[in-house]
Amino acid sequence: MLNGWLKKLVGKSDSKNVAKKRLQFALIYDKLEVSDEVLIKLHQDIVDVISRYFEIDKETLKLDIRKSEGKSALVVNTPILSAKRPF
Amino acid sequence: MAGGSLKRCALEGKIIVITSGKGGVGKTTATASIGAALALEGKQVAVVDMDIGLRNLDVVMGLENRIVFNIVDAVKGKCKIKQAAIKDRRIENLYLIPASQSDNKDILNPEAMVRFCKELRKEFDYVLLDCPAGIERGFENSVAPADEAVVICTPEISSVRDADRVIGLLYARSITPKLIVNRIVPEMVEKGDMLSHEDVVEVLSIELLGLVEMDSQVIISTNTGVPLVLQKESSAGQAFRRIAMRLNGQKNLPIEIPQSSKSFWKRVGQKIGIGK
Ligand SMILES: Nc1ncnc2c1ncn2[C@@H]1O[C@H](COP(=O)(O)OP(=O)(O)O)[C@@H](O)[C@H]1O
Ligand SMILES: [Mg+2]
Repeated sequence: MLNGWLKKLVGKSDSKNVAKKRLQFALIYDKLEVSDEVLIKLHQDIVDVISRYFEIDKETLKLDIRKSEGKSALVVNTPILSAKRPF
Repeated sequence: MAGGSLKRCALEGKIIVITSGKGGVGKTTATASIGAALALEGKQVAVVDMDIGLRNLDVVMGLENRIVFNIVDAVKGKCKIKQAAIKDRRIENLYLIPASQSDNKDILNPEAMVRFCKELRKEFDYVLLDCPAGIERGFENSVAPADEAVVICTPEISSVRDADRVIGLLYARSITPKLIVNRIVPEMVEKGDMLSHEDVVEVLSIELLGLVEMDSQVIISTNTGVPLVLQKESSAGQAFRRIAMRLNGQKNLPIEIPQSSKSFWKRVGQKIGIGK
């Protein structure tokens, strides 16, 4: 608030910093946009890898990309039926 | 081509695409100006309008009423390159190959453009391809034959974002592009109301080729068809001349940063009606 007043007094503005932040986030989001084809492949690969260590219900495994301000998360959710024995 | 003959050059010429993703950021202005400036450096230059169906480079260069054949005719073998290349009246060694106005972009394809540019290389030192907006067929046709690429953007979010996308597509084709930031308003940058060229370069992380100021002379030059680079008092024209020198091998020529001059901004402000 006070900062804003000071800026106005000296004729300084801040809209370019807003622009820069928005731009940087937009570029990150753009690159995180994954095609369905990639998601389906990734889904299969994750099922394969997890299946090496756990019994899982392959049908219920869910893959999600969650976007929140500033970062995105890849969320894998699967019920584990049982751990596999090493041998 | 009205009179004049093309001199053969000793080595194979370079094909440079000028592209941006977004429309209206200055590709055509840059192509005309850099082409003219390279010709003033003594090079044989062809500028090619790749915007099939929406040609513009001809009017910007003031050659619109001399078109007989166009690039589609030349690519399809309906005329010789010499017939499609219109010789500039004012600048020696500068030629325009216009787009056709009646076709759409599918009439050309990347393979045909690669073959066509192979012929152009024998006749010219530099061939500048004025890429249409977008990343579809017209972009593919323009990028396929290119050895180098110049990406142009303005200091605005939408333009920089599109530039980033295009840079990615160029990298995927093993081309490392260079950047021009156009339409810089130094007063707004100084006030903190416009992305600075440092911001843009930081976000895009590519090599900078030059900085061009917002300049009312650009519009005047387009009105009259007189090349911008011949206008000594045009800051944009002079910036394009230095860009051409850099492209032409003067790698160490320093990049001038547009500076504010209050009186100039007042002039522009009054012209476009936002002056205080
Ligand atoms: N540096 C500049 N200063 C002022 N006007 C400019 C500048 N560069 C481009 N313009 C204007 O912006 C508009 C779009 O430019 P143009 O070169 O046609 O863009 P593009 O080919 O990318 O669509 C034109 O009206 C042109 O005169
Ligand atoms: Mg254009």
